[in-house]
Amino acid sequence: MTREAFEARLRGILAERYHDRHPFNLRMHAGTLTTPEIQTWVRNRYYYQTRIPIKDGLILTKSEDPCFRRQWIRRIHDHDGDGAREGGLELWLRLAEAVGLDRADVASLRDVLPGVRRACDAYVRFVSGHELLESVASSLTELAAGGLMARRIACFEEHYPWVKTDGLRYFRSRTEQAPRDAAEGLGLVLEQATSEEDQERCAGALLRKCEILWALLDGVEWGARRLQLAPGAQLRDDDAEGPLVVLAERAVQMNGTGREILGLADGKRTVCAIAAALRARHREPPEVEREAYAFLEEMAKLGVLETAP
Amino acid sequence: MSAGRPWNLIAELTYRCPLRCPYCSNPLDLAAHPDALGSEAWARAFREARELGVVHAGLTGGEPTLRRDLPEIVRAAAQAELHVHLVTAGVPIDAAGLATLARAGLGSVQLSVQDAEAAGSDRLAGAPVFAKKLAFARAVRALGLPLTLNVVLHRENLAHVAELIALARELGARRLELANTQYHGWALRNRAALLPTREQLRDAASAVARERERSSGLEIVFVLADYFAERPKPCMGGWGRKAMVVAPDGRVLPCHGAAELPLAFWSLREHSLRECWEDAPGMNAYRGEAWMHEPCRSCPERANDFGGCRCQSFALAGDAAEADPACALSPHHAALVAARERDAAAAGGPAFAWRTLR
Repeated sequence: MTREAFEARLRGILAERYHDRHPFNLRMHAGTLTTPEIQTWVRNRYYYQTRIPIKDGLILTKSEDPCFRRQWIRRIHDHDGDGAREGGLELWLRLAEAVGLDRADVASLRDVLPGVRRACDAYVRFVSGHELLESVASSLTELAAGGLMARRIACFEEHYPWVKTDGLRYFRSRTEQAPRDAAEGLGLVLEQATSEEDQERCAGALLRKCEILWALLDGVEWGARRLQLAPGAQLRDDDAEGPLVVLAERAVQMNGTGREILGLADGKRTVCAIAAALRARHREPPEVEREAYAFLEEMAKLGVLETAP
Repeated sequence: MSAGRPWNLIAELTYRCPLRCPYCSNPLDLAAHPDALGSEAWARAFREARELGVVHAGLTGGEPTLRRDLPEIVRAAAQAELHVHLVTAGVPIDAAGLATLARAGLGSVQLSVQDAEAAGSDRLAGAPVFAKKLAFARAVRALGLPLTLNVVLHRENLAHVAELIALARELGARRLELANTQYHGWALRNRAALLPTREQLRDAASAVARERERSSGLEIVFVLADYFAERPKPCMGGWGRKAMVVAPDGRVLPCHGAAELPLAFWSLREHSLRECWEDAPGMNAYRGEAWMHEPCRSCPERANDFGGCRCQSFALAGDAAEADPACALSPHHAALVAARERDAAAAGGPAFAWRTLR
């Protein structure tokens, strides 16, 4: 493939698979997200922000080229700050405050939804397990990020005016950083991936990254779902071996906490609200929430719970 | 080895059936098993099952809707607080009959289809019933009952897996069971006309994987063909362990096929359900692990697969206590592989021996 055709191929992948087309982002930009949905997104996306400098640190270790490293290390400063400037992580926590979340609570990462955690961890794992070229190629979603950030600022100002302007500083900073980072990354990929095989590997890496960003938003959407007992599911509290749900396809046994979680799934509470209610009752360490999330996922998979209309 | 808690009672209400699918799991000597239990006897069985811990009653056959007393049977199972699941071919029952069952407490329905289109489906069923099946499926959904679609897969329909998934979606099924033929009873007799090639299976499996990715709201179960596997299936979740089958003649069995083994099972006509489950010699014959021979006895997989299927061992190795020949560790595996290669290669295939006893 010529250099031009290869670049067109990469841009084509983004045009089709970048997460600006995800239903959650479409709703964000249409102004139809509720405040809790915005909060869930901000809280969870912070986990992704925290993974970026770690992933960039891994990329640094893959290069023997001082020029490349000098250039690339700036990304870590962009996110972590450099003493004088505030970094992206700090700016994201300002966004969290601006949408009404507790900063320390968000920074603790304790409420991160399982699907979001899986997606972000998959990104770090991908970079860890692949060579420099593919790792850099996976970062090329930034080619589309600048435009998305600009759209996002406009949409927040229009549809979510209750979010203070100071909260949008992260997006503003990225409208400048992302195109610059993308140009650097693209230059390296176009220059080094000259064989068909390398080009295919780069395209695959970019596609994988698009899937990861998509899965992240799937994970956020899951947190905003309202769950209820599936119709026809019989909840039995009189069984000698403990609480039991009988479905057409199977019977599911659970412990007392599981039963309590099912009781909270009343069709009104979201997944996040169920976990929060459980924490409020138990005043226990974050494990109870992780367990709640895992349990709710499992119950939905087994057909015990379904999304309320 | 003491009997554990049974969760599921599979009630074979009759072996009669208007269809004649050549892979039927009913015994070959159908006529030797008359319908011996009336609705009162079934009602007693459900009450006793509930006491044993059973939560699920699957009403099957043959074709259970041939029984005129089916509404009373459904009501009795529902009154025993069992989830009542009807396994049917969708004939001869109609929408009005189904509504009667729903009022009696029916909880869910599994409908069999033989293929994704009328021609293939009707050929396998041996009767022009495909359109009626679709109408029945719509009646199930109109009543708000969860619907499972079940398709037995073989050489003639494996290529239509994607169409079958589309059909399940169109009908609003919650679950689709794509079950590769298990070669017992009628299916073993028709093996040379049913066995697919490995390529057919592989293509079907990848079609399932593709469709699963975009599946939402439809659970797709793909039951692998054990003839092509390295390890046997954990048949019934273990012999006499979690499920019981009550045959039309009243005998309580660990699975559909065990009636053909030379074992003493007890009947509800002479014993309580608890006695039949806990004490019948046949039921205890292969519980636990003490009965196992090598290679099962020392195999680390024995707790997961229970040595596979006893009926398959009996049919192919001549001894139900042998390892399932589907297992690559079985000394009889080579013979199974040879038979598989021979039958799968049977070009065009021989004619079916159609199930009889309408």
